[in-house]
Amino acid sequence: MTLTLQTTRDDHRIAALAALAIVIHMAESALPMPLPGVKPGLANVVTVLVLVHYGWGAAAWVALLRVFVGSLLIGTFLSPTFVLSLTGALASLLVLRLALLVPGRGFGPLGYSVLAALAHMVGQFCAAYVLFIPHPALWHLFPVLMSAALVFGIVGGIIALAAQKQLHQE
Amino acid sequence: MTRADVIAVVLAVVMLPFLYVSFWGNEGVADTIRVHSVEGIITLPLTAHRRLHVQGPLGASVLEVSEGRVRFVASPCRGQQCVHSGWLSRAGDVAACLPNGVTVAVTGRQPRYDAINF
Repeated sequence: MTLTLQTTRDDHRIAALAALAIVIHMAESALPMPLPGVKPGLANVVTVLVLVHYGWGAAAWVALLRVFVGSLLIGTFLSPTFVLSLTGALASLLVLRLALLVPGRGFGPLGYSVLAALAHMVGQFCAAYVLFIPHPALWHLFPVLMSAALVFGIVGGIIALAAQKQLHQE
Repeated sequence: MTRADVIAVVLAVVMLPFLYVSFWGNEGVADTIRVHSVEGIITLPLTAHRRLHVQGPLGASVLEVSEGRVRFVASPCRGQQCVHSGWLSRAGDVAACLPNGVTVAVTGRQPRYDAINF
């Protein structure tokens, strides 16, 4: 007996976009970083573009698939890295959901990228503090990590803006 | 770029200095030392230059306070770990001579920790 899964065009699109995000996620995990917890987060660009084009639901799928599949491929599934990645992704999705409620023209890719990057850092930092290193001295790292998150959020936002321009031309 | 984008980025940039101030500033202001020994607890300002002889079960531990810092100069213990702790200057720093029952802690107006264990 063959079991056929009915897939929709949306499913295929989410799968393709998630695959793109996973590749970026994995490529980044190979980059050496000076501080633990700091990472360019370029996969965030994919999440933001998906959010702008296909809505929050699709963005949530892409972000969470990236975290789960990315960690399975890298070999960090259920490790502290994975937990931090997951809480970061959940926090940024929550903030993006709230950001969508802003009336008027709302946010563009830049704003979403910055908000997502900051929320990701807050989420993963709180998880690190609560679950792994409940030591007050950890908070000394917080401003540094937030600065890095802001810089990478802006860089990601600029990339997302440029990518969006290209998408519109085609 | 929308107006909301600009506001988000500006707010985020403005927030950073506040983060640095609230997480880095203002807590390391060390102004007193607290010495525990079998004789009890004494609190002293960190500003004056002085030498202290604190009596313990083994004899007198000698503490030196100088230029906002404090250290064990000598102690009648075998390990001399208290002496090797060197100068303490930041609020929250602690040195102890356990055999002689003497500890010295640098405290600020807002101590960073109640206790630390390793």
